[in-house]
Amino acid sequence: MGSRLLAALSMCAMALALAYALTVGVFSIYIPIELRPLAKILVTSAYNESTPLFSSMTPEIVTAVVWDYRGIDTFFEVAVFYVAIVATAALFRGIERSAPRTSVGLSTIVRTVTRIVALMIVVVGSAIILHGHLTPGGGFQGGATIAVAVALALVAYGLAKLVEHRIDYETSLKVRSLGLLGLSLSACIALIAALILNTNAYVFQNQPKTYAPIGLPYAVDGVLISGTVLLLNIFDGIAVAAGFALLLILLSQPEDVARERVLSSEGGE
Amino acid sequence: MILDLLVLYLYALIFATIGVAIYGVVARSNVAKKIIALTILGDTVNLLLVLLGYRFVERPAPPVVTSLVPTSRDIEYLVEHGVDPLLQAFVITAIVINLAVTALLVFLAIHAYHRFGTLEMDEMGGEV
Repeated sequence: MGSRLLAALSMCAMALALAYALTVGVFSIYIPIELRPLAKILVTSAYNESTPLFSSMTPEIVTAVVWDYRGIDTFFEVAVFYVAIVATAALFRGIERSAPRTSVGLSTIVRTVTRIVALMIVVVGSAIILHGHLTPGGGFQGGATIAVAVALALVAYGLAKLVEHRIDYETSLKVRSLGLLGLSLSACIALIAALILNTNAYVFQNQPKTYAPIGLPYAVDGVLISGTVLLLNIFDGIAVAAGFALLLILLSQPEDVARERVLSSEGGE
Repeated sequence: MILDLLVLYLYALIFATIGVAIYGVVARSNVAKKIIALTILGDTVNLLLVLLGYRFVERPAPPVVTSLVPTSRDIEYLVEHGVDPLLQAFVITAIVINLAVTALLVFLAIHAYHRFGTLEMDEMGGEV
């Protein structure tokens, strides 16, 4: 009993030390009155036509940081998300083919309401994605919103009905790969254009830079699209929504089938 | 003075929550509770980052340029009142990665539950 108490106390001490290191030790208690210098550069140049070489022409500065100034970071973050979903699918391999043929679902009232609400959720999610460069929001948030519609449909209708309508593992995997492909292509779009026009460009280039005079137009017919930011947001939204849908479909597989599958793969070694 | 106390209070809150979350990750033997504690830890670190990005000015503004043809006065206003956009961008990144890690852990836990019939770490090593 004494050793257990000692272990609990030592764990408490370790938790406190780590918490101290994470809060007070790493970040000093300092909240500035003035904007930090780096943030000042970002705020002044993110949507400023008078400094075109440093601007991303995106009014939403967080989106400008995410998809323009630190675009490669975000790309690898999407890669982390992708790897996590691939690992999940690998853990549950074989289960996705054993979907039930019939599903009961919930009552007629719930189904009807879900049919209306799911459409509205998809519309709101699309609006969040498409306005990602203008107002707070973007691909991640809108994609997560759209995935809620899939979750609702899964609960209200059951998995078999969704599989009937081709919202299944295979489709979401394909849509997800399509979104990631679009993401990679829009990251390289300035590079491809530069190869054709025989000039220089960077990966993840949005607006023209020094020595790289090529870039996407930030407005089409007076409608602000912020160059590649809109494209990246759309493809990211598609990829995130399909990734969540895939996770939800895997989670809603019947329990007994999953258990049988796991145990049989263990025995087969 | 009041603002200083508020910052101190928020820091103490975050400190305590991180402590509880780390204790939960380390000391709890149930995998589901470990995962819950880990999500609490991630969200608290996000809260800390958002707090660091805040500014004590009158009427702090979100980092969004609100006019489609911004004059230099608009941008000056944003420099005077806007909060730090960089840390908010970090938090978006952190939330997504947190979510991916949590999803993977949940699926691992389900897998382990199917395999061992329990989520208690102490019982997993025993007879199957």
